[in-house]
Amino acid sequence: MIEVKNVTKKYPNVMAVDNISFEVKDGEVVGFLGPNGAGKSTTMNMITGFIEPTKGQIIINGYDISKKPKKAKKQIGYMPEGVPLYTELTVKEFVTYMAELKLVKKGKKEIVEKAINETGLKEVENKLIRNLSRGYKQRVGLAGALVGDPAVIILDEPTVGLDPKQITEIRNLIKELGKKHTVILSSHILSEVSQICERVIIINRGKIVAVDTPENLETKTKEKNTILVTVEDVKGNMSTLQEKVPEIEEVKLVKDNEDYTKQYAITSAQEFDLRKKLFDILPKEEITIFELKKGETTLEDAFLKLVDTNSQEQLEEQQQEELQKTKAKEEKKKQKQEKKEIKIEAKKEKNNKEEKKESKKAEKKDKGGEK
Amino acid sequence: MWAVYKKELKSYFLSPIGYITIGLFLLVFSLFFYLTTVSVGAYDMGNLYFNTARYGLLIMVPIITMRTFAEERKNGTEQLLLTSPRSITGIVLGKFFAAVTLILITLAFSFVYYIILCFFKAPNLASTLVSMLGFLLVAMAAIGLGMFISSLTENQVIAAIITIILLVVPWFLPNIDESFAMVDLMSSYQKFPAGLISVAEVTNLLAFAIMFILFTIIVMQRRKSVK
Repeated sequence: MIEVKNVTKKYPNVMAVDNISFEVKDGEVVGFLGPNGAGKSTTMNMITGFIEPTKGQIIINGYDISKKPKKAKKQIGYMPEGVPLYTELTVKEFVTYMAELKLVKKGKKEIVEKAINETGLKEVENKLIRNLSRGYKQRVGLAGALVGDPAVIILDEPTVGLDPKQITEIRNLIKELGKKHTVILSSHILSEVSQICERVIIINRGKIVAVDTPENLETKTKEKNTILVTVEDVKGNMSTLQEKVPEIEEVKLVKDNEDYTKQYAITSAQEFDLRKKLFDILPKEEITIFELKKGETTLEDAFLKLVDTNSQEQLEEQQQEELQKTKAKEEKKKQKQEKKEIKIEAKKEKNNKEEKKESKKAEKKDKGGEK
Repeated sequence: MWAVYKKELKSYFLSPIGYITIGLFLLVFSLFFYLTTVSVGAYDMGNLYFNTARYGLLIMVPIITMRTFAEERKNGTEQLLLTSPRSITGIVLGKFFAAVTLILITLAFSFVYYIILCFFKAPNLASTLVSMLGFLLVAMAAIGLGMFISSLTENQVIAAIITIILLVVPWFLPNIDESFAMVDLMSSYQKFPAGLISVAEVTNLLAFAIMFILFTIIVMQRRKSVK
């Protein structure tokens, strides 16, 4: 079990991770989702003990990563972003080295063999890593992470830069791993996460935006009904459709096909299903329906929506904060100026008094002189 | 420590670095072998090791140490090391001793010259061994320095150049003030050529090496929270 409690990572000018907390239970496969620069890698680097959080606590199977790093790190197999490897070694040498680093002692050969077999690297085990293709390198990284059977496997963007076939292979591998280990993986590809993971943590600008199952996220963020229709519209009646069916909120052209048909996305509020109505009305308008289907909100939409609203909220917050700051500054300036003015006036008064005194003295002297 | 040590030593010979170092050593050593023994007809190897330590290590050490940490940082393999249950001290010491072992291997090659001299008149074995010890200690100190510099950057070339500069500048410091002579590593290699082991010199060189090993450990530990 991994517990992340109120973890914050602050860089000189940036708040990379801002007070996040979550838990990952044993045997769970959790996806870490977020746009680039959201703080995914930073969080993973903190969980694995590569960097120290500014604040907060991370506990892995009961061991605090800052206080008992050796025991906590023993629980983890990590494949960092970009899959760094010692390219001058052969696959077998590399996996053996990783096993040694993880303090594997008994039955090292069998353990290395097992990791190599599990990741399907048997046929290239004596090749230099330098000469392997990207997909194989990724597998070597995975083998390095899972050698010695750590309880937790953490994979940072495991499928970046692979071709579609390799991606499905790696995904199947990760699914297999999920049966025996706790797996955390990060990605900015949503289909991947919805396929592999049981739970998704969406993170944006260093904050957790949502934690839920992929299905729940889809339904939660669904607000409107969208219907996709492909039609042949000779007379251009689609543009006036909205006036005739008041429930329609928007008619948007999606695609202009080469066979003179056009695809539109028609949206309405969630409680209306427009399909029947459209099926009735379109022929009357001399529009031929080629295809009519319900549009589905994907996790992609859910993600974009969550991230967008979150960004906007944060932006607004920031702007407000800045506004307040500038206001406060201006007030301070004003106060300062007022103080200055008061001081200047006071000085002027003093000067005046002194002048008066002096003039009086001078007068007295004059008088004395006259006397 | 031993896992890192084994892998590092292997890496030296999987890349050209191990061979280049040995080649360079033999080149410089042969040159001084001619200059200090053959051409002047001397049978003493003290000066030979002294000059090789002074001029040979200047190039050998940066080549050995420049990649120790800089390469790992650049390739990201540093993450594999630092997220493993191994301690930072163990990792640093593993790398240090791998580099020292490479120097020991080159020193073993220098025995060939001892054997060559034996055909004419055998030099004193004990004093030759003392010279070797001195060479090793100076190399250890320089390796400590080079490793520390390498831990500060991710660019190997910069690491090498700064290490060379830091090894050369002390030669000229006594021109400014005599008291700076202490900074030069070779100032602690004055009695070895005569076959004498001076406690002061040995502790000086060892302290120098240990100091920079500690610095490296501190840098690596600090990086956790700074990065």
